[in-house]
Amino acid sequence: MTDEELITMVREQRTSVPMTTPVDQIISRGRAVRTRRRIPGIAGALAGAAALALAVAALLPAGHQAGRQPPIQLDAWTVVKHADGTIVVTVRQLRDPAGLERTLRADGVPASVTFFGHEPRACHNYPLDPALMHRVFGGHGPPLVIHPSALPSGTGVQLNPGHYPRGGPIALAAGLVRASPRCTGS
Amino acid sequence: MGTQRPDFTEFYRGSKDECLFTVLLSVGDIDTAQDLVAEAFARAWASWRTVSGHPAPAAWVVRTALNANISRWRRRRREVPIPDPAAIADRASADGAGGPVDPRIMVALLRLPARQRQVVALRLFLDLDTGRTAAALGIAPGTVQAHLGRAIAALRADLAPERQQEAPS
Repeated sequence: MTDEELITMVREQRTSVPMTTPVDQIISRGRAVRTRRRIPGIAGALAGAAALALAVAALLPAGHQAGRQPPIQLDAWTVVKHADGTIVVTVRQLRDPAGLERTLRADGVPASVTFFGHEPRACHNYPLDPALMHRVFGGHGPPLVIHPSALPSGTGVQLNPGHYPRGGPIALAAGLVRASPRCTGS
Repeated sequence: MGTQRPDFTEFYRGSKDECLFTVLLSVGDIDTAQDLVAEAFARAWASWRTVSGHPAPAAWVVRTALNANISRWRRRRREVPIPDPAAIADRASADGAGGPVDPRIMVALLRLPARQRQVVALRLFLDLDTGRTAAALGIAPGTVQAHLGRAIAALRADLAPERQQEAPS
């Protein structure tokens, strides 16, 4: 069998599983996506401001490191370190992942942050352990709560904020990785 | 409706199955793949003026669907779906309209490492050239060729012997 024959044989499979969603349904959903995109300019800003005000009122950083900008001045994302060591991360805009990464590391969390679903090439996943994940990340966000004290030695967190498929708000996805200088900074 | 709908509809009908199959190879579950691809096409419609000018709109759809899946996957805290080729074949047969599904080919494709599978999908199913495949995956063109070469070798190892045994002597 030549390469061409092999490729042809494999290619034949590409229409073997039909996409059954009618185009009208796709377009109807597309209209909803487009409408949602037009609204956020004003409504999103108001909602964001309200959410930020609530977050600041509820989560003012009792143990936050001195010299850091107060959360109210960070418009894309907020990192708040509590007196008990927990860290609360809120992401409102997908901007400045490196800044978020630096902030988390400064707060003692070995962290890697990427946006838009890009996987960090230098990171290696830590074996899946739902119980450990629950201890480190607590309940379901938003905002995301990190318990650094629950991180096993040699592990770090990998955050990947992005838009959920349904065109909804930003979801702050999180996972555990093996800590390393190239991945999590330490 | 303007001038968008006919173009988009034509694009959708002409590329939906290839996009679905490409995404299916990555996510391993038909229902998930259908949802992701439908959502990606909806986003393409919402941004059709931009997407229609993309050098490879189908690759845009696939990339959008896979990015969404990575986010969802991470949100589920690394619950990695295990593709079941037999279930895919059964489901595809039940849905009817497509061509025949060869479970051996599905198994062979799903055995490939993720990156090789992505390269195969973009190069062979979406007919992207090496440069566009490299751009879509964010890797070097040489890396695309290397992955494709390894993938073809692996597929040959999996598929060729059986095919040769089937052939009349």
